[in-house]
Amino acid sequence: MMKRDNLIDGLVLFLFGLLTSVFSLKMPVGNFRAAGSGLFPLCLGLLLMGLSLLFILITLGGKTKPAETPVGTVEKSESSGRILPFLGLLVLITQFFNTLGYPLASFLLMVGLLWILGTRQWIVNLLLSLVTAIGSYFLFVHWLKIPLPKGFLGL
Amino acid sequence: MLESLQHLAAGFGIATTAQNLFYCLMGAIVGTLVGVLPGLGPIAGIALLIPVTFGLNPTSAVIMLSGIYYGAMYGGSTTSILLNVPGETASCITCIDGYQMAQRGKAGKALAICAIGSFMAGTIGIFGLVFLAPPLAEAALAFGPAEYFSLMVFGFIVLSNVTGGSLLKSLLMAVVGLIIGTIGLDPVSGEARFSFDSTALLGGIEFVAVAIGLFGIGEVLTNVGQPADLLESTVTIPRLKDLFPSWEDLKKSFGAILRGAGLGFGIGLVPGPAPVLATYASYMVERKVSDHPEEFGKGAIEGVAGPESANNAACQSAFIPLFALGIPFAPPTAILLGALLIHGVTPGPMMISEHPALFWGVIASMYIGNFILLLLNLPFVPFFANILRIPKKILLPLIMLFCLTGMYTVNNSMFDIWMMILFGAIGFLMRKRAYEAAPLLLALVLGPKLEVAFRQALMISHGSFSVFFQRPISLVFILATFIFLLYPILRIGIRRIRGRN
Repeated sequence: MMKRDNLIDGLVLFLFGLLTSVFSLKMPVGNFRAAGSGLFPLCLGLLLMGLSLLFILITLGGKTKPAETPVGTVEKSESSGRILPFLGLLVLITQFFNTLGYPLASFLLMVGLLWILGTRQWIVNLLLSLVTAIGSYFLFVHWLKIPLPKGFLGL
Repeated sequence: MLESLQHLAAGFGIATTAQNLFYCLMGAIVGTLVGVLPGLGPIAGIALLIPVTFGLNPTSAVIMLSGIYYGAMYGGSTTSILLNVPGETASCITCIDGYQMAQRGKAGKALAICAIGSFMAGTIGIFGLVFLAPPLAEAALAFGPAEYFSLMVFGFIVLSNVTGGSLLKSLLMAVVGLIIGTIGLDPVSGEARFSFDSTALLGGIEFVAVAIGLFGIGEVLTNVGQPADLLESTVTIPRLKDLFPSWEDLKKSFGAILRGAGLGFGIGLVPGPAPVLATYASYMVERKVSDHPEEFGKGAIEGVAGPESANNAACQSAFIPLFALGIPFAPPTAILLGALLIHGVTPGPMMISEHPALFWGVIASMYIGNFILLLLNLPFVPFFANILRIPKKILLPLIMLFCLTGMYTVNNSMFDIWMMILFGAIGFLMRKRAYEAAPLLLALVLGPKLEVAFRQALMISHGSFSVFFQRPISLVFILATFIFLLYPILRIGIRRIRGRN
């Protein structure tokens, strides 16, 4: 399983390096004496292709190891059932951030995310979201004087 | 030396006036707040407050603005430890072990050791500044493009493997980071690269978006994917005795703090993002010298004490090239240079003789500012640690809103938010596949400077690569890089030979 994952990763990185190299060649490359804007990215693209090929070869030739534990995180079992709605709501709110304005967008984001993660009592959900939206609005807009989108409400 | 001490004593007399103490306190508080909020960095904080200083005398103005700079270093570690969201770019490394300490109910210890370590390192940095400023500034001038390129290549190779995982995977991420760093305008010719006719991409990918995305959003998504019962839980509620470091913790951290302070002070003299480099280097060193390197990445207190001390010391030593040569080596000191010029003060070799009150007053105020920050931060440790009592199903949406808002405040750009979300998804996938974010971030920061140094060196040498080997300092770094790369292979070979024998 890990071997297959590493092969996919190596292939993706190789393609990324290849794309970088191809697009770099569309810019002026120049030479080492008078480098163009494309020279450095071209070198990096080729380097990435080389390293990812090495990674693929090592994966193909190596013994199967137990899955590596990601550094800095505790290993957990996962459920993707919430991740996609979580991300989806984030994308949706971001898309309409300027139209809705900060207070409304932050309120709706909190309501949605709290519901997705399990806060299903509407009173608690709405109250928390309202307090957060109002509190953050006053903190950033009135106290720190940071301009945030006003949206159609004009707040 | 005696003369310097006398000047320093006079400086304390200036810094301890009621007015200057007030401005030092204001700068420290604003700096801490700026550091805590993801997105807002010391540059934004200093720039926002310059107009406020127009009515002040130059000494008071610089005291307040300097307070924002090192205050931000203190504040940046708070969200790194509690939420795995780096509050400031130099706090990324603190996320690694600081967050793990928080997950194990030791958030208070991590926060306290940051404050203590930063104070000690700041104190050491100030004395270094007083006694070593002129000669060290001269030494920093010996770095030309070739030396700078070789130093950064060495730094990349060494620091890419900062957490000890797979070196090849780290190098892959570093190269990806370098490629991402080329998006935008060519730093030498100004031509557009990989912008695909997009105005947003012309400005490049904002570092803060990548940092918050990879560390903060990536962690949030990882937690969102947990089983429902874990979302109902809180992090281990800290016990009273875990709120502050024990004597054992202080003993473990003491060496790390001293090493971090020394490293940070030295690295702060080199042009570039010195605090970021200093934290990576300190983490690397602590992992190497530790008797228990396997604890790093799982909540080793040295992994917090060292980098935070290095961060603060680098911040202090960044003032050396600014004051002694009039050359800002770091973006926040560039803003401070602007503030000094606005107030009619020209930093440089003559500054000490023409404005002794300002020079020694600012140096003395740094020590006072560090003391104020220690007093401000330590009592708030229990308050901050108890944020982790909030159940994750409520905490995660709050973090998400926090990140979204903080990201928008950087450039008022929706593009930055999209990048943050994209890199959040990438960060989540990277965690699943055991790829480290730290090398990618380091490469993103250093990449443009690496390219400029590379091209400048080759322009000077008319395209000849011998420039990197003919200049002594550059040759030393190149050799060190080869030794570091070949050492693991040589070690395996030597072991096999010994095994056969």
